[in-house]
Amino acid sequence: MSNQTKSQFVAVASITSELTAVMVVAKEISLAAANAKAIAFRAGDKAKGFQPITDFINELAKETIELVTNINVSALLLYRVTVNEYRRTSAYNRFQLAAKLADTAVYTASMEVPVSNAKLRMDECQRQFKRDVALLLGQLETVMHHARAARVIAANSRIEASQAGEYLQNLQAVAESVDKAAHTIHDNVQRCRMALSVYHNT
Amino acid sequence: MKMTKIYEGSHQWIMFGRDAGKPPKLIDTNQYAVRTANRCLLLEPGGVELFAPMMAAVLHIAPVEQITDLFASNPDPDVISSLGLWDQALTNAKLHAPAIWEEFLNHYSCDSIGYAPIADNGGTIKLDSVELQLIPAHYLYSSGNFHVYDPQAKILMSGDVGTALETPDAPVFVEKFEAHIEKMRFFHQRWMPSNQAKRAWIERVRNLDIDILAPQHGRMFKGDDVKRFLDWFDALQVGIAV
Repeated sequence: MSNQTKSQFVAVASITSELTAVMVVAKEISLAAANAKAIAFRAGDKAKGFQPITDFINELAKETIELVTNINVSALLLYRVTVNEYRRTSAYNRFQLAAKLADTAVYTASMEVPVSNAKLRMDECQRQFKRDVALLLGQLETVMHHARAARVIAANSRIEASQAGEYLQNLQAVAESVDKAAHTIHDNVQRCRMALSVYHNT
Repeated sequence: MKMTKIYEGSHQWIMFGRDAGKPPKLIDTNQYAVRTANRCLLLEPGGVELFAPMMAAVLHIAPVEQITDLFASNPDPDVISSLGLWDQALTNAKLHAPAIWEEFLNHYSCDSIGYAPIADNGGTIKLDSVELQLIPAHYLYSSGNFHVYDPQAKILMSGDVGTALETPDAPVFVEKFEAHIEKMRFFHQRWMPSNQAKRAWIERVRNLDIDILAPQHGRMFKGDDVKRFLDWFDALQVGIAV
């Protein structure tokens, strides 16, 4: 197995690992939203501006969980394509070697079709890999948008929290946890994108 | 890859082995081909690392499209881990292998080659006008295991039975049986698990008319050495590791 193939396997496997962490954080945001909603309800008029924000946070968390679930499916498909590409490439190389070793054999010419078919299959797998990487990068970009939106919501939450009187500290804690979660999602997804972008333009 | 024709009649038997280019960490293996007018059967086609030299050698006797049958006595990697590559090279082939190993063998990745499961009591493989018998050899050493007998050529391909562990440049036939014994003893005592299975196999095989006993490793036995081997194996206690 070449170093590039090994890196490709590692890159694809690392995406699943990063996304597992994103999923955990997204679920934490969802919990924070439920918590914030309860606090805002108790705070009544003092947290009137905060109440619609809790719905936004909840929606965002749900969408992120859904997106990450879909991305995990895409990552699994990409892993299968990677395995397939490795098999096809290995077959092509070994078929070529067989044809070379058999240069004086009576039936060497009969290897032409298998070699040519193996090349076609290998090329198709490589194209499929690139297509799937592009698709996955697009999906990851959407999660990045969500992370950015969560940070904006966290900033607005801080402003609204400042007007919530004795509930200020509780609501600020919610805003902090959303902001922290958004950072974590951003960083993890960014690592996925960097791992994959190497293969996007090669 | 060295090629040795071991039978020439209405069809041919060819033994492949002693590959000089084989990575030294791999056990040396014997592969066999039965070539008829329009078909070619590869017995124990070998591991992944051996695929290219094996395919190159086979191209001396048959075109790719006439390699129609593969046989694996058991699912060991040195027997058949090349299956995924044959699968991509052959468009019209079947794999004859023990029925109980089917789902295990599929781990070697097989999309186009059809699986022809061999039932526990054996069966046959028909190649043009040649009919080969699949002789049960369960627990020798694999739990689902078959040997291939050709009544016309009087050859028994005996899988792991008859194996000797020796250097890759060893001759292809046993020359002095007594001197060969020590190269076989440990393998048979340690790998073969059951004296009962061994006795059942010997009883079955003594009824066959065999000129050549062709194992997957080491040298082949011919003529009187076949009987000498069966007598020696009969007397050997196996399953020594318990």
